[in-house]
Amino acid sequence: MTEKFYYDNKTVRNFAIATVVWGIVGMTVGLLVAFQLFKPAMNLGTQYTTFGRVRPLHTNAVIFAFVGNAIFMGVYYSLQRLLKARMFSDVLSKIHFWGWQLIIVATAITLPLGFTTSHEYAEMEWPIDIAITLIWVVFGINMFGTIFKRREKHMYVAIWFYIATFITVAVLHIVNSIELPISWFKSYYVYAGVQDALVQWWYGHNAVAFFLTTPYLGMMYYFLPKMANRPVYSYKLSILHFWSLIFIYIWAGPHHLLYTSLPAWVQSLSTVFSVMLIAPSWGGMINGLLTLRGAWDKVRQDPRLKFMVVGITAYGMATFEGPMLALKQINAIAHYTDWIVAHVHVGALGWNGFLTFAILYWIVPRIYNTTLYSVKLASFHFWIGTLGIIFYAVPLYFAGFTQGLMWKEFTPEGLLKYPNFLETLLQIIPMYMMRALGGTLYLTGVIVMTYNLVKTMAAGKLVADEAAEATPLPAVYVAQGSDKKWHRILERKPLLFLGLSLVVILIGGMVEMMPTFTVKSNIPTISSVKPYTPLELQGRDLYIREGCVNCHSQMIRPFRSETERYGEYSKAGEFVYDHPFLWGSKRTGPDLQREGGKYGNAWHYNHLFDPQAMSPGSIMPPYEWLIDQKLDTTTTRSKITAMRSLGVPYETGYEQMANAALEKQAESIALDLRQNNIKIKSDREIIAIVAYLQRLGTDIKAK
Amino acid sequence: MFKQFLENAEGNQGYLLSSLAIFLIFFILVGIFVLTMKKDEIQYLSELPLNDEDDERGS
Repeated sequence: MTEKFYYDNKTVRNFAIATVVWGIVGMTVGLLVAFQLFKPAMNLGTQYTTFGRVRPLHTNAVIFAFVGNAIFMGVYYSLQRLLKARMFSDVLSKIHFWGWQLIIVATAITLPLGFTTSHEYAEMEWPIDIAITLIWVVFGINMFGTIFKRREKHMYVAIWFYIATFITVAVLHIVNSIELPISWFKSYYVYAGVQDALVQWWYGHNAVAFFLTTPYLGMMYYFLPKMANRPVYSYKLSILHFWSLIFIYIWAGPHHLLYTSLPAWVQSLSTVFSVMLIAPSWGGMINGLLTLRGAWDKVRQDPRLKFMVVGITAYGMATFEGPMLALKQINAIAHYTDWIVAHVHVGALGWNGFLTFAILYWIVPRIYNTTLYSVKLASFHFWIGTLGIIFYAVPLYFAGFTQGLMWKEFTPEGLLKYPNFLETLLQIIPMYMMRALGGTLYLTGVIVMTYNLVKTMAAGKLVADEAAEATPLPAVYVAQGSDKKWHRILERKPLLFLGLSLVVILIGGMVEMMPTFTVKSNIPTISSVKPYTPLELQGRDLYIREGCVNCHSQMIRPFRSETERYGEYSKAGEFVYDHPFLWGSKRTGPDLQREGGKYGNAWHYNHLFDPQAMSPGSIMPPYEWLIDQKLDTTTTRSKITAMRSLGVPYETGYEQMANAALEKQAESIALDLRQNNIKIKSDREIIAIVAYLQRLGTDIKAK
Repeated sequence: MFKQFLENAEGNQGYLLSSLAIFLIFFILVGIFVLTMKKDEIQYLSELPLNDEDDERGS
């Protein structure tokens, strides 16, 4: 007895359009930041468009808007068909779609305004974090509702990947978003220093794993067999690599913190698991590529398969390179350089981008009941996109090697060969220009695709509700033969599957985090490290607002090349009052951890006002508004109180005296500036940020 | 290179070894299961995506 039902194609279509629109937006913003890196005028002279504020907009737009919508498009299309059921609830589908778009719009407005938590790829402030949680739960209910009312007993491997994605992203997002709000658009992370860094990179690395990888592997396992019209190469391999991948991935996060103040055993653990990660990652790549065995003639003609092949190959390259970068010897050179930027873009442009394009070219003609408008244009898109990736990645690899080695080069006399940081940057500016060209080519391809897809849509008509038929499952399931085996049982019981996935991903996080949080000896305290003064705290929040952390690290690694250049290497105990940590991950400018006292107040004032005047050739944008804008001191009280409740030892009642102390310190800096012929009122923002910069690293600085 | 790991893990080798042991046990369990799967069920599962509608449309 078969039942008639309808697949929901409208939601799939909506997510497809959102993918394309946000893709263009995210990549255009990316192009803007790429130009800013060799032409400071492209910072456009306003505080809302500087690199520090716009770079997070680019990363979040590409990850959560472009890739996020593409995931939902792929999941909504494949889940219904694999389970032979319409999505659980049309209302939830609608809430999910519009809720996600609203979150994106809210992010696009608040980040340029400077409302940021500074955690990479999670910069959104707390109200948006809550909205993300709610909409993610809506997505989960809709997915599990569909799984429960399915007409196919067994869950295909793609669905396991979707389930693991759902549960892990939920855990990551919640743990990484525990903040204490002090106003509608400002909050402090409850974690500080080393612990905050560990949480952030456990999140950051696993956002790559469970947002950019697992859902895409799921989509690969559905769409690649469909496009090639043959089953996946090895289903057994898919089981093995699924469980190994989710088990191992979660341990690897701390490889983003090699040679930092993170306890050494956590670093070692992450390196071991990162190297092991090659196996399950390549399991997926090999399974994908070998699915095409005997179908290579199709690859020649079908641009969708071409996108798939290059995308999966990019995945293989990035997942080989990742473990290599997690080796300490390589990381010592690559970390903080453009090598890392090249690495993530091979993944983002190659793996996520190309798979998304292949799937768009597959889905859109189908749900519009027509054929693709132009296969030739799709082929053109493929070639210009591939060229774009090459022009993007190769120059940046070159830039990364060059700068990483220049930082470490000594003269025979034992002095730094390039003591001026700027010199190492100017060397690679031509590479930045080439990268912008690569980005332009890639974006051109996307615009051509958009034209192609619009023409395709215009030629067909959306089949909003697509008829299908299937036999419903019996009310009581009688297991037969091998159905009693545990994995077969698991494939039939989605909640059990969810629970087991959760256990698997929690093990790694717990082993690494619990001791770092609870065992005191992991973070030795330093008695001379004192909380920030109120003015410095306000200055620190301005540093966060302007996104300085996007270009300046505050983490000196224990190498002679770094201690010579910057001063004493960083100690875990120095960061115990840092909510959030500001170690950074990329040095477009020099490290600032020992900046305090290096230059006078007047130098900082002039440098922030016109960086090129102080360092000819610098690509830092000017920050004139810090001179015009008055520091908001109404928040001082709540900030001190919040910090105290997070464990920073301000005396009780200090919040009432805080503003008086702030004004006194500001007055002394203004006085010093006046003595250097700079007339400035003491209530300006620049005074606070100078106070913070002058404090940096001075707690344990040898006099 | 590997000496460096063990030196770094000084006093904390427990974490390293128990983590690897947990993974090994887990991996062996999944391995045993995979090896005992029957051919026909593998074929059934791997053909799930190919059994739906619309394959003639759109290309």
